[in-house]
Amino acid sequence: MAAGGAGGNNKTYSFKVVLLGEGCVGKTSLVLRYCENKFNDKHITTLQASFLTKKLNITGKRVNLAIWDTAGQERFHALGPIYYRDSNGAILVYDITDEDSFQKVKNWVKELRKMLGNEICLCIVGNKTDLEKERHVSLEEAEGYSESVGAKHYHTSAKLNKGIEELFLDLCKRMMDTAQAEERAKGNGASQSGNARRGVQIVDDDPQAATPAGGCCSSG
Amino acid sequence: MSAQMERPAIHVDQSELLCKKGCGFYGNAACQGLCSKCWREENQQSRQKQIQDDWALAARLQKEEEAAYASHQGSQPQPQPQPQPQPQSHSSISPFSKFEDKKTNEKSRKVTTVKKFFSPSARMQPKKDSGHPDTPSPGSSRISAEMDRATHEFIDFLKTLQKPGREIFKQCRAFTESMAYKRDMSAEDQSECVQDFYQNLSDKLHAHYKGATERVELVMDEVEKYMMNRLYEDCFCPETTDDEKKDLVIQKRIRALHWVTINMLAAPVNEEIPAVSDNVVKAITAVIEVDSKRVPREKLTCVTTCSKHIFNAIKITKNEAASADDFLPTLIYIVLKANPPRLHSNIQYITRYSNPGRLMQGEDGYYFTNLCCAVAFIEKLDGKSLNLSQEEFELYMSGQASPQKPLSPSAGGPPSGSGSAMAEQAHQSLDLLTGLGARQEKVLEGARRLERDLIDWCDGVEHGVQDVLERFPLEGGAAAAPAPAPAPADPTAIDSDNVENDKLPAPLQPQLFAR
Repeated sequence: MAAGGAGGNNKTYSFKVVLLGEGCVGKTSLVLRYCENKFNDKHITTLQASFLTKKLNITGKRVNLAIWDTAGQERFHALGPIYYRDSNGAILVYDITDEDSFQKVKNWVKELRKMLGNEICLCIVGNKTDLEKERHVSLEEAEGYSESVGAKHYHTSAKLNKGIEELFLDLCKRMMDTAQAEERAKGNGASQSGNARRGVQIVDDDPQAATPAGGCCSSG
Repeated sequence: MSAQMERPAIHVDQSELLCKKGCGFYGNAACQGLCSKCWREENQQSRQKQIQDDWALAARLQKEEEAAYASHQGSQPQPQPQPQPQPQSHSSISPFSKFEDKKTNEKSRKVTTVKKFFSPSARMQPKKDSGHPDTPSPGSSRISAEMDRATHEFIDFLKTLQKPGREIFKQCRAFTESMAYKRDMSAEDQSECVQDFYQNLSDKLHAHYKGATERVELVMDEVEKYMMNRLYEDCFCPETTDDEKKDLVIQKRIRALHWVTINMLAAPVNEEIPAVSDNVVKAITAVIEVDSKRVPREKLTCVTTCSKHIFNAIKITKNEAASADDFLPTLIYIVLKANPPRLHSNIQYITRYSNPGRLMQGEDGYYFTNLCCAVAFIEKLDGKSLNLSQEEFELYMSGQASPQKPLSPSAGGPPSGSGSAMAEQAHQSLDLLTGLGARQEKVLEGARRLERDLIDWCDGVEHGVQDVLERFPLEGGAAAAPAPAPAPADPTAIDSDNVENDKLPAPLQPQLFAR
């Protein structure tokens, strides 16, 4: 109940999103730009940029987004599963000027799919598009790969504040679809509380997005 | 050991001190001559038997309870008092009456209390009279004072909820008592029971409060506090798990890693800045404090406090908001420094018995996850993860070599690194203490001199008076009262030589006035 499920018109969605990516690809800048609209600012008011929340209102539904930053250093790689357990979405960031960081993203995708299956919404993000001239990861390769693993690809620049709003908004919509599909899969099952049962009328017009999911979130 | 103390004169053979089971460890008289490990096994077995007898009863009790819950759940959202009592009374009372025939000593009392909760009269009450949930008196005397306090707090809190409060209390109490019968279940199963209960209750609350999430969370927090306060002894580091062993392993591991420096971890914290080292100390204190709390949520709060101090330290050092890349290494450093007691048990306890929503989503959950990561990292730590060669790592681990203090290049002077800063502080405190001691000595000296002076003065005065008396012996009445009396005789003799007494007016008589 506490997690993504809790659907219904007057209910709030809560999503956990993990932020994965090598050190120095700009994970922190990305999320700070999104939540605080600041970049390299010496006057950042938040004490930390590792756990941030954002409240959204998407087509009249409230969404609470909790963004979990993860330590990107190679030596912490093995700890990944502890971080992304129970998450609804993952943002995998690479630096377009750094081929290695893209390889790391591929590793994570493999791992995530293995551990969490298809219930998790993946976003692959090429950051630092302001350094287009130094690009080392080809656009075609990145987009082709993303498609092949069922992830969406985005280009962002935290410095220029480009593509970030779109990224998060899109991700939220996808996570909502997943959550709703899951609710439908459970359907009119008796496991839901009275209120949620009344909220089943949320039959949106895109049932094709329905991935029959077991229980990434609200199942107890 | 105590055997030795009881009869110190008798020679005790080495073999007599050993565990009777012959496992090679020393035994203990308190454990009937067994070592603590064998004792526990032995004890477990006998307890097992005893518990097995209760088990059938417990299982049935549990079934009734579940049946009661199930039938109750259906009718909860719409408060219709009519259909409720019947299923309750059928499902719970008839089997209970069978038990009462058995009269199993102290258990029977518990059964009846549980029964009371499900009996129609108790159930009906909250539905009918709305405003006044009278305090249900906790009957069992074995609860410690602390638990009693927790119970009272819980009741006080629930009173503010009016109608549903009583219902919540009854369910929590019944559930908590039922847990006593599940002591032998594996920790995972117990945890599942508790989590199911949380889920069940929060679903009901959600239905009742129509999605006022904050309200529900508030209630759930209190429920957790009450229940876990009572279940702590059974659920923390239970004997059915190897938590205790793992605690020791991790503790030993951290101790063995004492040589790891902050630079090896690349934690962005400069402890030479006093404000930073202050925060580091506070963070260490907070993470140690986790063990002293009983309720999972309170433990989590300690982890959060620790994390906040770490963020402060990073912010002061780097002057920018800390990312996870900064935070995790620093947390690892703090854990290594602190070596928190019963770390594994605490993590397991929180994982098993915390409100799930808090762990999966909230800020507390994030910090707790990081703590888990830190522990996992420490367990698997090797040379590579510290940027050391395998040989170096082995050398340091075996204690044959010790890494140079990388913080020393600052000035070569003694006040570098937190260790020496601490030593400095300790020295200062010591100096202060010594100074205080000297001053106290002086004060004492003065006091003694004053005492001597006073005694001398007293003697002097006495001598003086004596002298005066000897030189001028008292006249008149003095004949009646001779030598030894130093003061002029008895007070009645003051006016004995007053010849004009008769001329004085008659003394005033007290007069009575009508009231």
